[in-house]
Amino acid sequence: MNINLKIAVAEASSIVRSGVEVQMKRLSGFRFQLMEITGSELVHEAIRTHKPDILIINPSMIVGFTLRQLREECGCPAMKCIALLYSLTDRSVLRSFDEQINIYDTNDEIKQKLEKLYIEEIQDVTENDEQQILSTREKEIVVCVVKGMTNRAIADRLFLSTHTVITHRRNIARKLQIHSASGLTVYAIVNKLIELKEVGKQ
Amino acid sequence: MYKKGQYRETDKMSDLICDNYPMVLVMYRFGVGLGFGDKTIGEICRQNEVDVCTFLAVVNFLIEERTTPMKENTEECLSVEALISYLHNAHDYFLKFRFPHLRIKLVEAINDCPEDVAFVITRFFDEYTEEVEKHMRYEEKIVFPYVRGLLKGKENTRYNISIFRKRHDQIEMKIIELKNLLLKYYPGKGSHSLNNVLFDIFATEQDLFTHNLIEDNIFTPAILKLEKRT
Repeated sequence: MNINLKIAVAEASSIVRSGVEVQMKRLSGFRFQLMEITGSELVHEAIRTHKPDILIINPSMIVGFTLRQLREECGCPAMKCIALLYSLTDRSVLRSFDEQINIYDTNDEIKQKLEKLYIEEIQDVTENDEQQILSTREKEIVVCVVKGMTNRAIADRLFLSTHTVITHRRNIARKLQIHSASGLTVYAIVNKLIELKEVGKQ
Repeated sequence: MYKKGQYRETDKMSDLICDNYPMVLVMYRFGVGLGFGDKTIGEICRQNEVDVCTFLAVVNFLIEERTTPMKENTEECLSVEALISYLHNAHDYFLKFRFPHLRIKLVEAINDCPEDVAFVITRFFDEYTEEVEKHMRYEEKIVFPYVRGLLKGKENTRYNISIFRKRHDQIEMKIIELKNLLLKYYPGKGSHSLNNVLFDIFATEQDLFTHNLIEDNIFTPAILKLEKRT
C-alpha cells in the first residue's frame, strides 16, 4: 500500500526542480502530489494554500524568515522540511531541517530518508495491510448496511451503541477501501455474505 | 511520456496532438475536428472561431500537469464564454458518450461472472453515473446560467462562485472505488475485454480528475475576477 504525501519543491532552478520531481516519482511505496515553488517570495503563499506534508527547499531560498516561523505563519506545524543541497551550506543553517537531500543521493538513499521521516505511518500501513480481512462482527455489520439498515437499526439489532457501529463502519471502509453502500454490496455478494434477494433498495 | 513546455499559437496543431494525444479530446471539445493538415494552432482556432488564448490556456495547463491556479497574465485574455462552451462539451462527452459506452463494454465484459455479481456491479456503475450526472447538471443549471448573466452585466445577490467552489467535490472518487472492486474482488477469470474496460476506467478517472482541475484552477479564478469587476 502506498503512502500519500503532498510535497512542495522550492528551488529556483527549473532544471534542478524537475530533476527532483522526476526522482521523487520513481520512488516506490509512496504516492506524491508535487507542487513547485519557483521563488523565495512565493514560499509563504504556496505553503499557506497547499499545506504540503513535506517542503523540500534549497536553503538559499530561506531569506528573511526561519522554518519555524514559516510553519507557524502558514498553519502547518507538522510540515517536515528537507534541505536540498548542492553546495556547501553552513551547519548552523542545516540544524533547523528535519532531513537533507543531496543532489548526488541515489534513489535508495532518498527513499530511506523519507521512510525514516515517516516510520510511524509506514508501520501503520503495514499493520493495516495485514488486517485487511474483516472480523466476524464487521461482516455482520456489512450485511446490515447492505440490507439498507440505518446505523440506529444496526445498533439495536446487534446490541451495540450507534457510536460503536460508526467506528466499525469507519474501520470497514479503511480496510476494504470501499466507502459507499453500493460498493459494499458488491463486496458482500462477491464474498457470499448475503444473497441478492436480501439486498435492500438503496 | 508527453512532451512538456508551453505551446504557442505559431506551433503546429499536429505537433501538439502527436506529442500529447489526450489533447485530441480537448481540441474536439473546443469544436475542432481532425484533418487539420499542417496548419498552426492559431490558424485552426481562427478558422473554427475558437478563442486561441483560452484554447492554449487549457492545453498548456493540462500538459504542465499543474495543480495550482493559473498565472495572472494568462488569465487576462481568457474568454469565459469559450471556457463555458468547452466545459459544456466535456459534460456532454462524459454523459452522452463516455459513460454509456463504458456501461455497454462493462456489461459485456462481466458476462461470465455469476449473475448476482454482474447485477450489483452494474448497479454500482449506474449509481455512479447518476452521481456524475447530478454533479454536472448542477453546473449546467446553476453555475453556467449565473456566469452568463454575469457576462451580460446582470447582478445576482443570491449566488456567487464561492458557493460553487465550496461544494465542488471530487467526482472521480467513486470510479476509483469501482476500479478497486474489480481489481481486488472480481470473482471471474478475467478477459481481454475486462482489461479493456479497466483501461477505460483508468482513463475516465484521469479525464474526470483533470476536468475538475480545469474547473477549479481556470474557470473558478476567472469568474472570481469577473465578479470583482462587476
